Amino acid sequence: MRTKLLAAAVAVAALGGASLEALAQTKPDVMVAQRQAVMKLQGKYLGPIGAMMKGAAPYNADVVALNATFLENLARMPWDGFDPSTKGEKSKAKPEVFTDTAKFKAAADTLEAETAKLGAAARAKNEAGVRAAFGGVAKACGSCHDGFREK
Amino acid sequence: MGAGETQVKVWDVPVRLFHWLLVLLFAFMFFSGKSGSEWIEWHMRAGYAVLALVLFRILWGFAGSTHARFTSFLAAPSACIECMKHLLARKPSPYPGHNPLGGWMVLVLLLALLVQTGTGLFANDDLLSNGPLYDLISKATSDQLTMIHIWNFNLLLLLAGAHLIAVLYHAAFMKENLIGAMFTGVKRLPADAAGGVVARFASPWLALVLLAVTALAVYLIVKRPF
Repeated sequence: MRTKLLAAAVAVAALGGASLEALAQTKPDVMVAQRQAVMKLQGKYLGPIGAMMKGAAPYNADVVALNATFLENLARMPWDGFDPSTKGEKSKAKPEVFTDTAKFKAAADTLEAETAKLGAAARAKNEAGVRAAFGGVAKACGSCHDGFREK
Repeated sequence: MGAGETQVKVWDVPVRLFHWLLVLLFAFMFFSGKSGSEWIEWHMRAGYAVLALVLFRILWGFAGSTHARFTSFLAAPSACIECMKHLLARKPSPYPGHNPLGGWMVLVLLLALLVQTGTGLFANDDLLSNGPLYDLISKATSDQLTMIHIWNFNLLLLLAGAHLIAVLYHAAFMKENLIGAMFTGVKRLPADAAGGVVARFASPWLALVLLAVTALAVYLIVKRPF
């Protein structure tokens, strides 16, 4: 009796798991749109900090803290959108995203680490730290675009 | 110098300086444009210099020395065909300045460079760097101009390649040292060719003034202080 119950429980769990997984099968074109949306939002929150770094806008520690925190979270979001199923979709992702996965993962990790530094400095209202960390974030964005994004 | 040849000064200092500065800047623009986002700031600064130089060369094409002027080297189609025959027959060319084909090439190159620098002013890299006039247009328009910026550069490479091949053709098959002439300003010509045209050379001070004007114009476009 107990074993039957256990078996039933396992079966239900397996089915449930399977059906959940099926539900989670996001269509490739939707995944592309979602990861592009993340990139656009990164642009939204990076831009104002960039303008402050260049001196085109006055430094505002509150805006920097908010934007940097958003960036820190956004930096973790795009990567599962570069699923192998999206390989044939129309996008600016270079084939290297799917062939040179180790390097792509390293680039993703770099962005996460650099935005974490920026977020910490921004929340600490440490302007010098923000300026130092911003360079690292910009470099992480740029080098990944250079290597993995078509012009 | 062979028999029946004469040495004639054709290229003034502004034309020569323009040419070689442009060569250096073109090489740098090529490198900095392809080397990723770390070079973009310098790519933009050098681009302003290219724009100022090209605008200067256009003004010099109206106000400069004889062989720098558009009216002296933009020839009729019949002259272009005549020139083509000279080239194919490998006869020494009787043209002191640009030959008719080369003359049109000058115009095409200048226009392509204007398109290149002009679109660059509005371009964006989808990151932190935008051309100085990016703010004036929508992102979608900027994206289109950025694409033109990328494709027009391929055209420029093609034109520069054609220019280089033509100059090498002159050197290899017609024994004409056009590269040396662009350094020294002096061309070796058949004696009868030089006779017709007496080149008038404009003041280098005028060139300096015009360059200052175009540099100021580019500065105002980039900084937009008003």
